[in-house]
Amino acid sequence: MTTRHATQLGQAALRICGRWLTTVVGVAALLLLLVEMAPGDAIDLLPDGETLRAELERRWHLGRPLPERLLLWLLSALGGDLGTSWTIRPGAPVSEVLRGPALASLLRLLAALMTSAGVALALAWRSAGHASWLRRPVHVLSLAPVFLLAHLAVAGLNASAWSLMEAGWIDRPAWFALPTEPSVLRSFLAVVLLALGSTALSGLVTDLEDAIARLRHAPFVLAARGRGEPVDPMILRNLVPVAAALLADRLAFFVGGLVILEKVLLLGGAGSLLWRASLERDVALVLAIGVGTGLVVATGRLASDALRAYADPRLTTAPTR
Amino acid sequence: MSIGRMLLSSWSPSRHRLREPGTVLSAIVLLTVVVAGLVAPLLGYEPGLDVDPSRISEGPSVSALMGTDHLGRSVGWRLAHACRAFTLPGLLAAITALVLGVPAGAVAGWRTGLLASTVRVLLDIVSAVPRLVLVLLVCTIFGPGFVTLALAAGLAYAPTLADSIRVRVRDLRLAGHVDAWTTHGLSTPRILWLHLVALGCGRLVIRRLLELFAFVLVLETTLSYIGGFGVPEPTPSWGNMLAFDWGHDGHLVPLVAPAVALWATLAATARVASVFAECET
Repeated sequence: MTTRHATQLGQAALRICGRWLTTVVGVAALLLLLVEMAPGDAIDLLPDGETLRAELERRWHLGRPLPERLLLWLLSALGGDLGTSWTIRPGAPVSEVLRGPALASLLRLLAALMTSAGVALALAWRSAGHASWLRRPVHVLSLAPVFLLAHLAVAGLNASAWSLMEAGWIDRPAWFALPTEPSVLRSFLAVVLLALGSTALSGLVTDLEDAIARLRHAPFVLAARGRGEPVDPMILRNLVPVAAALLADRLAFFVGGLVILEKVLLLGGAGSLLWRASLERDVALVLAIGVGTGLVVATGRLASDALRAYADPRLTTAPTR
Repeated sequence: MSIGRMLLSSWSPSRHRLREPGTVLSAIVLLTVVVAGLVAPLLGYEPGLDVDPSRISEGPSVSALMGTDHLGRSVGWRLAHACRAFTLPGLLAAITALVLGVPAGAVAGWRTGLLASTVRVLLDIVSAVPRLVLVLLVCTIFGPGFVTLALAAGLAYAPTLADSIRVRVRDLRLAGHVDAWTTHGLSTPRILWLHLVALGCGRLVIRRLLELFAFVLVLETTLSYIGGFGVPEPTPSWGNMLAFDWGHDGHLVPLVAPAVALWATLAATARVASVFAECET
């Protein structure tokens, strides 16, 4: 690697990390600003806020200006202190309340992203550049909101299981009508429905079809084909940064969809915790989950940008002078 | 050519797409839903006062074309009245997104340097928060309600609208037309707001507003289905109709009708939006 090349990569890395940092700090500032805009102050949102006012004002630095509070919140967050829960588990550290559910949600999100990318790639590879009967059904299915898909899936499964039980063909399944017990089936449903619904799949397929069609006619692919080399691995390799960018663009939609699915399918996770915290006005927890979702989206963008910068030949094979 | 005619021709989709049966059907579905949302409350239907124990779970009849639900309420009336739950928030969200998104996108696309970079960073920040999370946070702080929901949806969608306009204005600025207009003596505000934004981005804005309408529809039905922040019973919403009617014995229409209506409206909106998308370039 030449010095010039290393400098270019370093500049790209700095730019990408700067964008990530700006986004994360900006999201925290935006959400703190929204909390600040609440009528009265944050303590007014608590059911027994007035009795604890003096203590909470000191702990939440309410008398200080917003930029100072943002800085203090960020510094505390860097040290792992996201404040304490107001109503869900009063007095418990938010980081402790959030740790387990956040991990479960993150795993579901990654599984849904991989599923969506895999299915979209398979469909797009088959239909890119020519008419396909699959396009319309995928589009129609993908239009449905995730809550509707979840509703139909649960209703269909329960009705089918009930019919089979009545006919004496099966015993009562473990997941049947036991909504509060953890279930692998419901987690599986959440991943599949998240990967398919709310136009996630349809949009990905369309964009990947365009990218594959473009790559198949790219000069370097045509030249490789002329030399008799296999071109599919070459196309797939060049498709990775494109697919990563498309997924990163849709990451916020996936996170939103997961929040809905965890609530509808009664799964434990950061999404269902966010619903509960919103209903019970646990602003500290909502704020932490909000910033956490922003962090996930910003990190997804960072990974996509880094992959593109690494794979882009204009950057990695720039000529030295 | 007058400005009105210029706007009309630059905003309307191509005529051959408008004549396609699918597009006509989609436009009819969309118009019906919007008109129902605006007009249904004027027709004297009172949610909560329509419970009729003598007509529980009746099939379709002349007096109730889609039958009645488990409380004897007309499914057709409730379906029509439920359009109000997302039509008015959709309109308010569109105004919010236009007010926030169009100036931000136009300035970021027209200017270069610090101002444009700052607007882009701000758009980046707002778009990094998932829309649903932003809406939930706003509802947590300001309390649930029709206006809160609409403003939050408009705020959450503004970055998408602004970014589309930014890219379009930047492309038009770099295409060379601006130099020609400047040479003809047109002022900068006229070039930017009339030629680039109003004439150059008209179809793009219409498409994005249709997508925003679909977003508000999905958001409202989701929140009403789950409960807590959406439309509470007995006021009808397609979301709470799906949730509330489930698990009661009777015919299938009360369960199927809201799902079909939701799916059909989303499909119609996507179809009409795609007609405008094809005419953008």
